[in-house]
Amino acid sequence: MEETNETLCVGIDLGTSRSSISASNGERHVIDSYVGWPVDMVARKLVKKAVLVGRDALTNRSMLDLRRPLERGVIKEGSEKEEEAVRELLHHLIALIGLKQKSKNRPKVRAVVGVPAEAFRVSKQRLRSAMEGIADSVMLVSEPFAVAYGLEALLHAMIIDIGAGTADFCVMQGRYPTEEDQRTLPNAGDSIDEQLAKLIRERHPEAQFSIHMIREWKEKWSFLGEPKDRVVITVPVKGKATELDITNEMRTACESILPPICETMTDLLTRVEPEYQEKVRNNIIVAGGSSLISGLTDALDKALLELGGGRASVVKDPIFAGSDGGLAVARDASNADWEKLSV
Amino acid sequence: MESLEQTKIRLIREAIQHNVTGVQGSKAKASAQPTRILPPWLWGSLLVATLAYFFMPSQVVSRGRASSPDAPKVERTASPSPVEDQALKPDIPLSAPQRLNRAVLPLSVKRIVIDPGHGGRQHGAISESGVSEKEITLDIALQLRRLMERTPFKVMLTRQKDQTIPLEERVAFANANNADLFVSIHVNWMKPREVRPLETYHVGPTDDPAAIQLASVENRESGYSLSEYRQLVEKIYIDTRRDESRRLAKSINAELYQSLSQINPELENRGVKMAPFVVLVGTEMPAILVEISCLSNEDDVRLLTNADYREKIAQALLRGIRSYANSLNGSNRKGS
Repeated sequence: MEETNETLCVGIDLGTSRSSISASNGERHVIDSYVGWPVDMVARKLVKKAVLVGRDALTNRSMLDLRRPLERGVIKEGSEKEEEAVRELLHHLIALIGLKQKSKNRPKVRAVVGVPAEAFRVSKQRLRSAMEGIADSVMLVSEPFAVAYGLEALLHAMIIDIGAGTADFCVMQGRYPTEEDQRTLPNAGDSIDEQLAKLIRERHPEAQFSIHMIREWKEKWSFLGEPKDRVVITVPVKGKATELDITNEMRTACESILPPICETMTDLLTRVEPEYQEKVRNNIIVAGGSSLISGLTDALDKALLELGGGRASVVKDPIFAGSDGGLAVARDASNADWEKLSV
Repeated sequence: MESLEQTKIRLIREAIQHNVTGVQGSKAKASAQPTRILPPWLWGSLLVATLAYFFMPSQVVSRGRASSPDAPKVERTASPSPVEDQALKPDIPLSAPQRLNRAVLPLSVKRIVIDPGHGGRQHGAISESGVSEKEITLDIALQLRRLMERTPFKVMLTRQKDQTIPLEERVAFANANNADLFVSIHVNWMKPREVRPLETYHVGPTDDPAAIQLASVENRESGYSLSEYRQLVEKIYIDTRRDESRRLAKSINAELYQSLSQINPELENRGVKMAPFVVLVGTEMPAILVEISCLSNEDDVRLLTNADYREKIAQALLRGIRSYANSLNGSNRKGS
């Protein structure tokens, strides 16, 4: 596409845990997908803002009505507040790339937004509505497709995008993926968090911790297979700082997502035309925040052995793979294409 | 063999097509299944509006339901420009499901079905001191009917005494009577017992665990399966009724909170929420379910057993309904 000063292309990966944006002006940012509003006048005075987004919101959470508005990759259902939170999140992302919402010289924004492979049509429509006033044209594509496009892995490849809310699978066969080529599983980073919290609570019922602490531990120490080091955390037990070894709990929690992921990977592989199965088996690409679990690709390679062997690899930049891919799509779409997608 | 660049161009075309079809598809589907996008309570009005646009473009269209010749009539001139715009530009991608522009259709509220929750063998929530939900809801519904007798509204109750009425019969009653609004009155019970929430629901899917639990309690005999839930979600979203239900819920919630928080400062307004209650899913008109107080809280029980407080609730409900009805009239005037 011919880019002008009047247009700006962006790729957005709205994640349950983190959201990233890549723009054609060279800006790239990632934020925690949290939005919070001060609970009262006192809180408002202290935080000095009407709304806080990202790490800022998380840090000041005790004073905020904190929302994590995305669930399983789409806008969480249940209240209008979540829709408002998503809009705040999107406004924040757009501001980060240097766009002022009401600026006179604001270029036309063409946005490609990744959604889970099997997102409801209605969920996509809600997201499209949330983009009104933020982008001038919007294209929604499945997250693993965006990753594949960015990597130019368009033929005989399988993308496994493991985020916090969902694990999305997509086999690329040189065509825009159909329903048969894609799967979405709810077993991803969040389910590891839940499992880890449950296991720690079972073994150390008096230990005090929050879900945010669990997430930090997972991001630091998650692993599959043999641990490089023991995982030792410090938490209050009856108010006293106490060290706990949670190596086994961490392994068990991380392992919990492996069977459904391997099963889905195998199922999709068996649907590929027989002459191409080996090529796809050797071109399994893992992306998303949860792809950083140490030992994940080894575990997938082990599962592939049962099918005759194969190779899984993690993308170079898992956090931005989705938004970079979205940006690539946005740039390659023609002006005429974009005109069909105005919001 | 196709080059990488050619493959990319083709894939983008397919992605664009997928987006355009997804948007247009829902519009086409909506047209193929008119009862899903426009429930019966709107069809009469739509028919009048359509006939007016096609046969009487320069004449006036009367406001009110086609099936309600006795409805108050206000004259307004039809404004055909949005319809003409679409007809002249068929290539413009459709963005569906479109929210209905309230200014386009002449609407009014006349018949209201009030649904006192539970009854007969179904006691609903019961307080520690033995006060049952079914008694409270019936008393408020009867008071509300009495108040409404002095208004232009025609009010009907799903039950007028302590009797067991299955949920589907309540739904059928409202639909058969061509109700314009459906208001279901309930009293909550929840832990911890200190909480004293006011909650107003309209139809919609939810991930709120508390709303799910409440809906599962109120829907005990519904029989929805998991696979049906997905279909339900799709239906709810393309249903124009949801927008109107939300507006009604907002009006009622605001009036209830404003009125009751003066007597009960501890009342916690949990606002307007969505949940798939059977009585809200099955009814074909804007419908809400209000949980007015909590029988698990003894202070709330004391208030609920006070006749004046129950009357306050009935008055607030009436004000909420009125405010919604007036907003409909207001939107009509703006559109004229």
